[in-house]
Amino acid sequence: MTHDRFDDLLRARINRRAALRGAAGLGVGAAALGGTGLRRLTSARQEKTPVTFWTTHVDPDLTVLKAIVASFNAENPDIEVTLTQLPPAEVTDVAKLMTAVRGGTGPDVYMLDRFIVAQRAADGLLTDLTDYLQGADLAETHVPFAAAEAQFDGGTYALPFDTDVRALYYNKGMLQEGGIDPAELDPANGPITYARLKEIAFALNKTEGDAYTQMGFVPYYNQGWHYGYGFSFGGDFFDEEACQVTPDDPKVVQAFQWVYDYAAEADPQKMQNFIQAAMKPGTPPQESPFIQGRLAMMLTGDWQIAQQPKYAPDMDYGITYIPVPEEGMESETWAGGWSMVMPEGAKEPEAAWTFMQYIAGEPGQRVYAKDTAHLPTILTLLEDKTLFDERHRFFSDELIPTANNRPPLPVGALYWDQLTDAWQKVYRNEEEPAEALAAVKETVQAQMDQFC
Amino acid sequence: MTHAKGDTIVAAVAVPSDQTHVEFHVARRFGMTRKERRSLGIGLLFISPWLIGFFVFLLYPLLYTLRISFTRYSGLRDPVWIGWGNYERMFQDEMFWKSLYNTLYYTCLAVPIGVVVAMVLALAMNQPVREVGLYRALLYLPSVLPVFAVTFIYIALLDPNKGLVTRVWGSLGLPHINWLGDPQYMKIALVALAQLGAGQAALIFLAGLKGIPITLYEAAMLDGAGTWRKFWNITVPLMTPVILYDLILGLSVGLQVFTQAYIIAPDGGPGNALSFYVLHLYDNAFRYSQMGYASAMAWVLFIITVVLALVVFRWSRRWVHYETS
Repeated sequence: MTHDRFDDLLRARINRRAALRGAAGLGVGAAALGGTGLRRLTSARQEKTPVTFWTTHVDPDLTVLKAIVASFNAENPDIEVTLTQLPPAEVTDVAKLMTAVRGGTGPDVYMLDRFIVAQRAADGLLTDLTDYLQGADLAETHVPFAAAEAQFDGGTYALPFDTDVRALYYNKGMLQEGGIDPAELDPANGPITYARLKEIAFALNKTEGDAYTQMGFVPYYNQGWHYGYGFSFGGDFFDEEACQVTPDDPKVVQAFQWVYDYAAEADPQKMQNFIQAAMKPGTPPQESPFIQGRLAMMLTGDWQIAQQPKYAPDMDYGITYIPVPEEGMESETWAGGWSMVMPEGAKEPEAAWTFMQYIAGEPGQRVYAKDTAHLPTILTLLEDKTLFDERHRFFSDELIPTANNRPPLPVGALYWDQLTDAWQKVYRNEEEPAEALAAVKETVQAQMDQFC
Repeated sequence: MTHAKGDTIVAAVAVPSDQTHVEFHVARRFGMTRKERRSLGIGLLFISPWLIGFFVFLLYPLLYTLRISFTRYSGLRDPVWIGWGNYERMFQDEMFWKSLYNTLYYTCLAVPIGVVVAMVLALAMNQPVREVGLYRALLYLPSVLPVFAVTFIYIALLDPNKGLVTRVWGSLGLPHINWLGDPQYMKIALVALAQLGAGQAALIFLAGLKGIPITLYEAAMLDGAGTWRKFWNITVPLMTPVILYDLILGLSVGLQVFTQAYIIAPDGGPGNALSFYVLHLYDNAFRYSQMGYASAMAWVLFIITVVLALVVFRWSRRWVHYETS
């Protein structure tokens, strides 16, 4: 035996012995750890099942969501829901959810914009809730369009939460100051025309140097969206029979044309300079030029009612119908809203389902409707007049019954973003409406075809 | 597919030991002694964190994206093989071309300007004054800050109504420009923003400057050369290898510009002026769930980067001066 080899053997033995000793120690440690760990775990399980809930909502809604979670936790001692707020991003951006679910660390419940449910269900991101519902039909208990948005391919993938409707808000003081009688906009007089809206708005614009310091109306600010104008001009965005997206509907083109012309007259760049800072996602309500009294009219949803007393308590404002293209036409608005979904791979689906039923059910929707001035999607709550103040009743009684909604398509996110892209080109006067919308059709239909 | 992650880790852990094994065979063939073999094994063990990182976080994803670039894949369901479909689609994707144009536009401006700025900073950092340490720290400071933080400050500075830069600009009587809202100027504003990170490159340039033998300057001075002459005939030629390094590095960083644009205009901004290549890639991956298409875009970007780098290398033969001793 050479010295080398002996040396090796010796070392190996020492190593083996040391290793054995180490392993034994570890084993004992592990056993001890396992013992207490296991005990702690089982006792925790007996006490509380952890449910994680993610939202991208910011204040003021976030506070209300937190309150709903807290009251659920109080009422359900065996479940502990933890709410995590994700940084706000573009509404169609689900990078965090997608990567977390793929990595096995997704939440049990996620708050998702309802019009994207179909797309995310098609992606395989959401758990099919049909079995949990045990035959219950959402269409019977909920606002029909909200129930429809929760479906994909024969399955139910979401529980509708709130809804909201858009209307025209106006600052009475600013109108008066500009020599316009606010009574003209009173909803009792019906909707004004788009032509009249433009007249009033331009009368209120104020300029300093080459910049606007005050504007009457910015068509694309806040809830001034492509879908809204399209519906308002009588357009359709999807032809179900032909399985075709129809952004090139002449009525939609006409709507975009109105915005194109408005921007051209106001100077698109000058208007953009005025509004840009307020248009970043997650901008706090106090940064809104309407709240600050620099913008006289805007299109937004019913939730604004809850923000007014908080951020502009002294403002005298009114709410009326969205304008019409021509005198005598019906005013059209549109509704959206959020939903509760269970992402694939949820660790505590049973407890998550219990929570979803609570927050998206009567208890949650009641609190949310009252405190945030969003509308509930549950029909019985919508009829409960105690939930809404007088202003809010305009939305629940007048607007919701006839509101349009975005077509719930498996390419919903792409469609929204492509429309937004065209919308921006149009309100910046960079491209003619017909051309921009034809491009949307081409891109979106190419992806839609695989589902037809 | 849900098991993929676990599999990866198992494979990755197995990799280094396989590697060791292979190295062993190689070692015997090259006539290594037992001791050398052992130290090789230990050496490999020591760099195993890097090996694992390389195989798990670089090589595996790299090859994985290549595979899924030939599929339609939402990220969750099983990928559907579609051959060259994603690559063909790129040619018809208007946004692909727009974002490629934006990215090249940005890179072509940001990289050369970056070289000039880094050179100027390095020269300033190299001045023989007592408080040079302080200057170096100050000039380098913005490079230490995370890009997203600098971007938020930048947005506030350039705000079209109340930003400091806008106000100073206006008080000088210059025409009002909406730097982050007017598609004409947005990319320029981003090129300027990139210069806040020039300290990184300046440090390398500084090291290059320090490496130039002082005797060359002394000799030139004896021959009557002025500051300018010394700069062009000594400093610049001897710095060309560093400049080349910076160009190549800047090229790959510039082509992947993302964070600043994502913060300033997550939707690409007006006229999609800030819709950069990686932003469009990100949108396809995480907004439209088209991982296959996004992966194909990643590979095309990789090829573009390699081709451009090769062009720069080829071109550098004409102007890079390597000191041969």
